[in-house]
This record gives sequence, structure tokens and C-alpha cells, in this order.
Amino acid sequence: MSNAQIEIQLIASLVAIACAIPGTFLVLRKMAMISDAISHSILPGIVLGFFITHDLNSPLLIFLAALTGILTVVLVEYIQKTGLVKEDTAIGLVFPALFSIGVIMIAKNANDVHLDVDAVLLGELAFAPFDRLLISGVDVGPKSLWIIGSILVITVGLLFAFFKELKVSTFDAGLAASLGFSPAVIHYGLMTVSSVTTVGAFDAVGAILVVALMIAPAATAYLLTNELKRMLIYAICFGVCSAISGYWLAHWLDASISGSITTMLGLLFLAVYLFAPNKGVIAVMYREKQQRTEVSLLTFLLHLKNHTEERERHVNHLNEHINWQKVRSKTVLELALKNNMIQLEKNIVSLTEKGEDFTSQAIDYIITNEDAQIEDMKDDFFLFRG
Amino acid sequence: MLGSFAVLRKQSLLGDAISHAALPGIAIAFLLTGAKDSNTLLLGALVSGLLGTFWIRGIIKKTHLKSDTALGLILSLFFGFGMLLLTFIQKQPNANQAGLDKYLFGQAATLLESDVWMMAIVTGICLFVLLLFWKEFKILLFDADYTKTLGFNTKIIDILITSFIVLAIVLGLQTVGVVLMSAMLLAPAAAARQWTNSLSIMVFLAALFGAFSGVFGTAISASQNNLSTGPVIVIVASVFVLFSFVFSPSRGLLFKQIRFIKNRRDLQLHKTLAFMYNIVESHENISHPHAIKILNNFQGYTKGTLQKLVSKNYVVLQGNMWSLTEDGFKTAANLYSQQTDNNE
Repeated sequence: MSNAQIEIQLIASLVAIACAIPGTFLVLRKMAMISDAISHSILPGIVLGFFITHDLNSPLLIFLAALTGILTVVLVEYIQKTGLVKEDTAIGLVFPALFSIGVIMIAKNANDVHLDVDAVLLGELAFAPFDRLLISGVDVGPKSLWIIGSILVITVGLLFAFFKELKVSTFDAGLAASLGFSPAVIHYGLMTVSSVTTVGAFDAVGAILVVALMIAPAATAYLLTNELKRMLIYAICFGVCSAISGYWLAHWLDASISGSITTMLGLLFLAVYLFAPNKGVIAVMYREKQQRTEVSLLTFLLHLKNHTEERERHVNHLNEHINWQKVRSKTVLELALKNNMIQLEKNIVSLTEKGEDFTSQAIDYIITNEDAQIEDMKDDFFLFRG
Repeated sequence: MLGSFAVLRKQSLLGDAISHAALPGIAIAFLLTGAKDSNTLLLGALVSGLLGTFWIRGIIKKTHLKSDTALGLILSLFFGFGMLLLTFIQKQPNANQAGLDKYLFGQAATLLESDVWMMAIVTGICLFVLLLFWKEFKILLFDADYTKTLGFNTKIIDILITSFIVLAIVLGLQTVGVVLMSAMLLAPAAAARQWTNSLSIMVFLAALFGAFSGVFGTAISASQNNLSTGPVIVIVASVFVLFSFVFSPSRGLLFKQIRFIKNRRDLQLHKTLAFMYNIVESHENISHPHAIKILNNFQGYTKGTLQKLVSKNYVVLQGNMWSLTEDGFKTAANLYSQQTDNNE
């Protein structure tokens, strides 16, 4: 691994961490789309800064861009407050307008300079190590490494300083306000951090990747845990993992680094989305199926309890009577047998004592209709679940 | 036009997500066919757009992630994947590859006649389907549960609307590009929403606004050098929206403010009148004159309100003195009883 490769991976990882922190809060606060809006609307700020300084790396650029980012948030909120349109429409109106202004400004005035819309939007990580920061003639590393590093330090510092406040205001804005934290200050603080991070990261990795790095690790982590601290840690891990693996994917395919990092994030999310232990699609589907069988079992037992005549309790008759498919009735029958709730005599089904007990409790439950009860009851009675 | 439905369904940002999600479709279609035939590329975009949309649906439905997270996630992931493919394609030894990225920002000027025909045909189909299922769309929009009880298959109608939104977006991509497509979808509809409460008028207006911003935008960009069409169209559309926000008669900010001020003035007038009434009540003769000075301590009183009361013939001024007229006394008495009525 060459020096440049290590540096690229380092930058990518730092960006991933710097994005994951505000991203987690954005996802929890249901403002994920704001990051997309910010990443687009910082364009006019960057262009304006460029006109003033004629230097793509000046801090003024970052400052102005962050300012436009905040302006976006303020505009969105203002439009939303007028009550004329909903929040998402407000976002959808503001950022294309600002972005268009940026594009037009570039087209009108900066045609001959190195300021490309593609570069702003997509970024190119591969060139990041070539842009070195020289302090009194000594090479101290790539510029973007320093920029994103300092942003990260500030973000982490703010996170530790205001963790409690952020946590309270994210989950219970009313409580936060009554405790004396101003929700507006925290809100705009978070927005500022997001804007600054977006801006700092964009010229290293591009606007789209910033959005992906903000939302995807946080969303993936949110599927795995409900605890804020753990979610932050998971999000950071996911971000770094996909940053590094994405770099090697790009290396192997000879394609854009930001694109392949995003792809890795996508694959990671897809895997978690499908296989997450509690909230993954497969787990949810499995649980749904289990519940369906168990409800069928309950119906079946109730039917048995209500009918004493043999004709009603014949195995074949059940098929027709409760109107189930053959396979389904077979699974239900087997489940009931396994749990010792019924006994079969010459194809005549009858409830065992345990089955009787369970059914009468189930009726109680249905009458009182308290949700928590049924799960406990199932735990008490079931040896095998559906 | 279809944007109206998106706006009303609170799915405004779906357009943004879809337009980004269409990118890998374009790239894959190109990779598979190796040709730059716009129809196959659009087909690819359509497929991946639909895929993205339904994945978003799946995420919202099956997990506890919220819609904004799902949208942002799919948008950025698909777009990133698309970028990966595009850069991958660029490294391929294939002369055809140039110009694929025009789909990113769109170039209305590069449209061929066949593309235009294609758009016209698709717009026609959209219009036809819209008219055909008008009732179903409308009812699903405003009361989904009711639609279900009426026996409509909400899922199919839902998919139908979504597909058409995706189709419209994919077609528009060529003109204004990925980034600005969402504005094209939203802005006319948001502007139209301010002028009317009726769905049919709104759809019609949205189409009108959309067409106008298209025409004006193209005209402006043609009249100047170095102006790409897409952004200009979006700016024009945004101006339309701004104009609608401010000037629309029933919902606009301007008229709202005017109404607000008028209400406040009325209230001040009533307050002054009620205050006078209280003073006058203690005298037997209602037109007994009082000094203007005693009104000075009272908040609602200004010279303007006094003048207005005079012009309404509620009060008569005589030098430094005022007195309530018969008319004014009656109104004030009614005012008072009305207020107590309201308080109860």
C-alpha cells in the first residue's frame, strides 16, 4: 500500500466518521432530506466564495457555503411556517432553486475557470492526496485531511459537550424546552454542524456521497439498535468499514471512489435490511408468519371447544369447516399436537386438559383485549412456536 | 401535472429520489446494450426508478425507518451506484459512451425530434389514463380508507399513479436533468395549489404553469449565451411559486397580512367603542360630551380610530370633546352582548 493510498483511506474514514455523527441525529429527527437539500444548495455559496477569493481552498468558501446551507434550512422552515405547503414540498422547492442559481452563476461568469458542476457534485477522492498543505515549506499532509480532521474534532467536541442536550431535544423536544434548553439553538446548531460537515466533505468526496454517508450508516445502525450511544458507534463503524472496502472496490474496478463507497454502503444496508435480527425484513416476515399460524391455532382450538359432536371434530371436516387449505390445517394440527393441546383418536380431534386451559384463558384475553397478555400466555403454554 | 398528486400525497421528494434512482438504470441499460439509443436508456431508467420507489415503500412499511430517511437513503445509494457504473463505463473501450452524463444535468437543446414525439405520446397516454381513472385517483388521494371500503383495489391504483410519476420524471430527465427534476415536478403544483382548492383546476393550472415556465425558461436561456436551459426553467418556475405564495387571493401571504392588519384595526375600533360605551353608560344622556383626554390612557385609542368612528357616524366631535351618537351607542351595546355571547 502506497502512501497516497493510505491517505485516501484515512480521508475517507474521517469523512465517514464526521458525517455519521450529525447523520444519526438527522435520521432520528426525521430530517434526513435536509442533508440532501443542504448538499445541493451550498453550490451558490461556493460559487460566490470563489468569485471573491478566486481560490477553491480558502476558508471563506467553506464559511459562505455553510451560510447558504443554513439559509436553506431557514428558508425551508419559513415556507413551512406559512402553512402554504408541507415540509417536504418546501425542501423540494428551495434547494433546486438555489442550485439553479449556482449553476447559472457558474455558467455566466466562471466558464473559463476550474469550477465544474461535476466536480462539486461528485468530488474526486483520488486526487485529494495531491493537494498538499504546506506549513512553512514542510509537507504536513493533504489539505482535505486537515480540513475534515478539524471539522471532525469540532464535531466530536460539540457532541461530547452537548450530548445530553442533543439527546433530550431529539427524543422529547417539549421536555427539552421545559428543562430550559432552547430547541431552536440546538436545532440550528445541528444544522450548522451538518452544513459545515457537508461543505468540508464535499470537495473530498462530493455532495452525493456526503448525503449517503450521513444517512446510510445511521439508518443501518437504527435497524440494529434502539440505543443512541450504540447507534452512534455502529454508524461510525459502518461508515468506516464501507469507506475502506469501497476504496478497494474502486481500486479493483478502476472506477469512482465515491461511487463505490456509496455502493458498499448500499450493500451493507441491504444486508442489514434483510437480515437484521429484530427489524430486518426476513425477521419481520418470519414473525408475521408465526403469528398467523398461532392465530389459526387459537381459532382451531376455540372451534374444538365449541363443538362436542364427533362430526364437527373429524380431521377432514375441519378442512372444510374452518375453510383452510390442506397445508395450513396440517401445520396447525401438528403445532397443536406438538404442544400437547389436542389428542387424536381415529382422526377425531379432542382437546387435552392443557388445551382446555389455554383456550379458556384465550377467551378471557379476547374479552379483556389486553395486548401484553397474549405473549406471556403463549410463553406459558407453547413448547414450540409456530 | 402529475406533480399535483405528488404534492397532495405528501410525496413531494419522491420525485427527487426517483430522478436520482434512475441513474443506475441508464448506466446498466447502456452496459447491456452498448448503444446510446434513448428509448432503451429510458426503459432502464424507468425500471430502476420503479425499483427505487418500491424499495422506499418496502423500507417504510417493513421497518421503523421514516419516509425521509428511506428517501434520502435510496436516493444517495442509487445515485452513488450509478456514478460507480458511469465511471466504470468511462474506462471501457467504447466510443459511444460520451454524452451519458448529459442525463445528469439535461440538455433541452440536444433533444431530437423523435424524443419530442415520444414525450408527446407519453404525455398523451398520461392524460388519457388520468381522465380515465380520475374518480379513483381523486378518492384515493383524499380518503384512502374510504376507497378501500368502496371496493377499489387501492394497491393497483397506487401503483398506477406511482408508475406514471416515475414515467414523467424519467422523460423529464433528458430536459432538465437529475437535480432539477424534482423542482419541475413540484413547483408548478405548489404554485397551482395556492390558487385553488379544487383538484381538477389545480391539475389544469399546474400544467399551465409548467408549460409557461418551460416556454419562458427556454426563451430566456436562448436569448443569452452560456445559460443552460434546465436551471433557467427551474428559476422561472420558482418565481411562479414565489408569486403565487405572495399574491394568491385566499392563501397568499400578502392578502393574509392585509386581512391580519384589517382584523387588528377592527378589533382596536371595537375596543375604543366599548371603552366609550363604558364611560357613557354612567351618564343618563348618551350624547353627553366627554373630553378626548380621558381616552388617552386607553390602548386601543388613536386619532385614526377616532376619525374612523366619526366617519362611521358613531361619534360626534366638538372641539376637544366627543360624544357618542345614538347609532354608536346601539352598536356598542350590541358589541358588548355579542362578546359575552362568544365568551360563553
